[in-house]
Amino acid sequence: MSQWNKRKPGVSGGGGGPSKQGNNNSGGSSNNGGNVAKKARSNYNNTEDDDMMDTEEMEMAFLEDSEMMDDDMPGHIGQEDETAKSITYEQWDRPSVGKDFSPKTTNLTFQQLDVDHYIHSKPIPGMPGAKIGPVPVLRMYGVTDDGHSVCCHVHGFSPYFYVAVPQNFNASHCGPLKASLNQVILKDMRSNKQEVTEPVLMIEIVQKMNIYGYQGESKVPFAKITLAMPKLIAPAKRLLEKAEVYVPGLGNCPYAAFESNLDFESRFMVDRDVVGCNWIELPAGKYTVRNANLTSKSDEITRGGVSTMSRCQIEADIAYDKMISHAPEGEWSKVAPFRILSFDIECAGRKGVFPEPDKDPVIQIANMVVRQGESEPFIKTIFTLKTCAAIIGSHVISYDNETELLQAWGDFVRKVDPDLITGYNINNFDLWYLLNRATHLKATNFHFLGRIRNIPSVARDVVLQSKQMGRRENKSINIEGRVIFDLLLVLVRDYKLRSYTLNSVSFHFLGEQKEDVHHSIITDLQNGNEQTRRRLAVYCLKDALLPLRLLDKLMCVINYMEMARVTGVPLHYLLTRGQQIKVVSQLLRKAKEHDYIMPTYQGTVSDEQFEGATVIEPLRGYYDVPIATLDFTSLYPSIMMAHNLCYTSLLRPSQTGSMDPDKFIRTPSNNFFVKASVRKGILPVILEDLLAARKKAKTDLKNEKDPFKRKVLDGRQLALKISANSVYGFTGAQVGKLPCLEISQSVTSFGRMMIEQTKNEVEKKYVVENGYAHDAKVIYGDTDSVMVRFGAKTVAEAMVLGKEAAEFVSTKFVSPIKLEFEKVYFPYLLINKKRYAGLYFTKPEIHDKMDCKGLETVRRDNCPLVANVLNTCLEKILVERDPTGAVAYAKSVISDLLRNKLDISQLVITKELTKTEKEYAAKQAHVELANKMKKRDAGTAPKLGDRVPYVIIAAAKNTPAYQKAEDPIYVLENNIPIDAIYYLENQLSKPLTRIFEPILGEKTESDLLRGDHTRTKVLVTSKVGALAMFTKKKATCIGCRSVLKDEKSALCGYCMPKESHIYMKELSTLSSLETKFNRLWAQCQRCQGSLHEDILCTSRDCPIFYMRKKVIIDLEEQDKLVRRFDF
Amino acid sequence: MFEARLAEGGILKKVLDAIKELLNEASFDCSEAGLQLQAMDNSHVSLVSLNLRAEGFENYRCDRNMSMGMNLASLVKIMKCSANDDVLTIKAQDNADVVTFVFESKNGDRVSDFDMKLMNLDQEHLGIPETDYACVIKMPSNEFAKIVRDLSQFGESIAIACSKQGVKFSSTGDIGTGNIKLAQNSSADSDDKVVVDLQEPVTLTFASRYLNSFAKAAGLSEKVTLSMSPDVPLVVEFKVATSDNDYGYIRYYLAPKIEDEDS
Repeated sequence: MSQWNKRKPGVSGGGGGPSKQGNNNSGGSSNNGGNVAKKARSNYNNTEDDDMMDTEEMEMAFLEDSEMMDDDMPGHIGQEDETAKSITYEQWDRPSVGKDFSPKTTNLTFQQLDVDHYIHSKPIPGMPGAKIGPVPVLRMYGVTDDGHSVCCHVHGFSPYFYVAVPQNFNASHCGPLKASLNQVILKDMRSNKQEVTEPVLMIEIVQKMNIYGYQGESKVPFAKITLAMPKLIAPAKRLLEKAEVYVPGLGNCPYAAFESNLDFESRFMVDRDVVGCNWIELPAGKYTVRNANLTSKSDEITRGGVSTMSRCQIEADIAYDKMISHAPEGEWSKVAPFRILSFDIECAGRKGVFPEPDKDPVIQIANMVVRQGESEPFIKTIFTLKTCAAIIGSHVISYDNETELLQAWGDFVRKVDPDLITGYNINNFDLWYLLNRATHLKATNFHFLGRIRNIPSVARDVVLQSKQMGRRENKSINIEGRVIFDLLLVLVRDYKLRSYTLNSVSFHFLGEQKEDVHHSIITDLQNGNEQTRRRLAVYCLKDALLPLRLLDKLMCVINYMEMARVTGVPLHYLLTRGQQIKVVSQLLRKAKEHDYIMPTYQGTVSDEQFEGATVIEPLRGYYDVPIATLDFTSLYPSIMMAHNLCYTSLLRPSQTGSMDPDKFIRTPSNNFFVKASVRKGILPVILEDLLAARKKAKTDLKNEKDPFKRKVLDGRQLALKISANSVYGFTGAQVGKLPCLEISQSVTSFGRMMIEQTKNEVEKKYVVENGYAHDAKVIYGDTDSVMVRFGAKTVAEAMVLGKEAAEFVSTKFVSPIKLEFEKVYFPYLLINKKRYAGLYFTKPEIHDKMDCKGLETVRRDNCPLVANVLNTCLEKILVERDPTGAVAYAKSVISDLLRNKLDISQLVITKELTKTEKEYAAKQAHVELANKMKKRDAGTAPKLGDRVPYVIIAAAKNTPAYQKAEDPIYVLENNIPIDAIYYLENQLSKPLTRIFEPILGEKTESDLLRGDHTRTKVLVTSKVGALAMFTKKKATCIGCRSVLKDEKSALCGYCMPKESHIYMKELSTLSSLETKFNRLWAQCQRCQGSLHEDILCTSRDCPIFYMRKKVIIDLEEQDKLVRRFDF
Repeated sequence: MFEARLAEGGILKKVLDAIKELLNEASFDCSEAGLQLQAMDNSHVSLVSLNLRAEGFENYRCDRNMSMGMNLASLVKIMKCSANDDVLTIKAQDNADVVTFVFESKNGDRVSDFDMKLMNLDQEHLGIPETDYACVIKMPSNEFAKIVRDLSQFGESIAIACSKQGVKFSSTGDIGTGNIKLAQNSSADSDDKVVVDLQEPVTLTFASRYLNSFAKAAGLSEKVTLSMSPDVPLVVEFKVATSDNDYGYIRYYLAPKIEDEDS
């Protein structure tokens, strides 16, 4: 019953099939595994006389169960032509479409995941829109509830934009304008491949309002210009703006364009209320289904119907106004069981060179496919070049020829038909590499990975510049109908980490280390035997599995999907586009309801700055009393709502003169907005909707029991919160789509005023005169929160006062601005602006956590040592209330640092290589090091965008710091001395004195940094210094370090009487090192999942790796030392 | 018990000036033979070897071999408290964690003493075996200091070419090239003569910054000896001596720069 028994005899002559298929292994769970399985199994037992099952394999073996369940899936459907030659596994197929499916009687509902469009040469009869070709057709891809893939062609929607028209423009001008515009556009076109005869389909007058600025209540006429194709918008807009269109009676006047910079898909989605990842319903009888059996145009004519374009199971055609788009609420907030493919490739590179697709072969491709909502992949397959021993629970398919391997993988992707493709760095490496490699090998069929039959996937370079991310060079790869959801890109966007390698990420989020096989070893493993290749395959499979586990753990897919639903943009925009498109999409949707239209803003960079948020000067110190924190909830959104700040309510100062002063407000930054009573702005409406929706999602979350639905709801409330907060940012983005500094500066000015006012109110009310026990003091405040010392002795008292004060101050502000009591810090260490730490209480009994802001514990530009020491010290100070213990601890760490006892991984600093050397103005350590490493080994050297790990090494006096950076592994291998003084003075000293000063006072620094504990140092001798090969070590006494005359003895005469004592001491050091080494080694063996193979891992992110390396060196030294007693 | 009395305390001051630029801290190894110091500089490019013979001291007692780790910056501070002609006594107990410096003025009416905390320095004792060199140059030490100082303005490295005719120091850099030739003048018996003892001609290149640091020892002695052989470290030796007393020597070892290598 196991999977391989059902495999079709795929190799049907022609030699195109795989060279060896019998590599599947049933493992221990299935007894009737068939010949193949038995053979493979015995194979396994022969090579490793050990019945122990590797942990990795155990993991894989769990799969058996789920696979067996899959067996009752219906058989496969319509096999495609290009796969005829190759292997097919039914298990890979999607469930077949039921026989009772008919467009006449079945409503076709599916969750759409991607939308694109194409130009069809002629319109399909019976559809709305242009009657002569070419016409744009939208294509939606999705999955039904039953897991069927759907491609839906939406016909009849035409692109358009608006222009403002002169006052004397009337309906009679539309015709001439259209004719004239047609003419100039045709003349403007350099080529006309699609043979457009009539670029402008229609011009009509519509009554709309400009969104920007309050202009009274009446709507004004605009011309809506409908065009034949999306790409005609740009020339039409340009020609109209430049006044190159002549209209009799009006002459050549310029027309300002509105909503012309919106892409076609977004235009469609906004107009038809389609949001990203929502459910689309095609009502029975309103759509037609294409016939998958028709293969050519001639078939279409002889047999009737339309041939399919895609590889989807169901391909339908519908008019744009017939389809139903369901808002993602209630029943329609469900998620379809779409398929996620995660894969990883290995290439056999050459020594010292990063793999290049035109030289180095792809040797393995591991794949994991999971259905959304399930936790275990139902397909685990690895394609290998040359034989590979079986791996329990995974399906090994081997090829002798790389081209075949690539072709087979292409077939696999088409067969599995994933909706999302994920992996780690697949966008910039794996996919790019495969595509280029396939081109190089002329594996022509390979490139058709998408759902549209005749569009090959290609990789292009794009540079993304965004304020949030900085500049990044990315590849852009098109795979029609499938979303490339590269986990690395998600993580880089959403999380700030020290390192983004898969190892460190999986450690960070999953709490487990992953072995890292250096690419120079990969080639050796590949050239070994089937066991070494199996070793590599296990590693490769793990790399494919981890992204899935991370996606699951971080709920990326659900969160992104909810973000797409909330903001209305397609899923892939979230990964490939900036922040603004999300707000634009929401703004347009809301604007449409009220007949507003958005001007096309010409981005200009201005240096105009406005004042940011306010910070109340902190009263620094260590507070051993409860400090209550009052926060404004959703400060900026609520200001915008409370004061009706919006594009639509903005008044020019000149407008205010003639207006009733009751009708508008003046903001603290001297801008004017009409009141909501006159006209309610749409930004406040959007925000109200978002916050109401969030409230609802949170309530639903409370009531929901189903864990999966809870995830969805939690993802939604998060997306709603982020969206609400990004509205403010959008109005302030100066190179944005529609910046409005009047709004953003008003928002911050209100914020500043409110913080000040809160301070005054609290300090005025809570005083002894009013019957309170103490005078309250606001000790610090920042952006949306104030910290108050009420003088209460207990947390409970402070909480009561905090709640009361929050309610009291809230009444002073316009609704919905609300001050809330959130937490109490006790004790509280206020170091400086945006730098503080404290124990965080939300209930009086016990603290929730230790909260640190702006301290080195969270910053990335320090070595982990700083964060760790600081954390432990703060814990000792705040939680244990033991400042002396904290000092003692800090001293012990400093002493360890000077004695070279610290693990080097603690000292690694990482910095991102964001620019090339030339672009950096000043020399920087990590840049210099990257160059140095490039000279040593160009293959492993860090590249642009990588985070470079380095340690600071000792150097001659006055050597600039940038020359002292060195690769940690190189340091470890060559025993290069670390610059302990640098770490002490430049890394530890400031953060430590900062936290200890408020408690210990002035003498902290001298005690900490120059105390007795700093008087023992260990200086190591480098193996690579220029003198290293000339020097000779002199024997010194093990007991007292004095130079010995007799080279052979271990001790000087003076220490001789204590020989046994000293010997025992050294011996115990040796044995403790041995124990340490054994434990580390076992740890690594466990991590790599095999106890009887050498450890290959060289993971730069794993502290164990550094410890293991270091302990090996220490052990050798200690061993030599102990041997000196042997004479 | 360790006790050493130095009639001219200023000697130690000069010694300190000669090593403090290269070392942050150092272990002084005391034995019956005298006081020794051997250490690599921080960047492990050069090695300093100091030897002060027991005979050079007015009074020397060392009951057991011991190693005293000192922070040189602290030592400099203490030495600043003395006058050049003070008589210096260094004292330490066996297994002590402090070392005492006693300064007595020439006429004996002022005595000051300073305790300095010792450091526990765990480092390898490295030495460079004595070998025969292809050429040995003897020249006035202030001449050496001036040449090095002048040429370091040009480039990061200085080439020393030794031939029968004499020695040529040269350096090339952004602003141009500098060459300084010294002829062998065996004629005069004066102090500023240059003597070359040559087996074979040698040309080696060295980092100027280290040569500059070595030149700080010029105050110790009138003469400096440079010993070179192809592909082995250069030895720069200064005698630690006054007109009437030979205390020992200070030697610096520096590995030659290899072509096409940038450090």
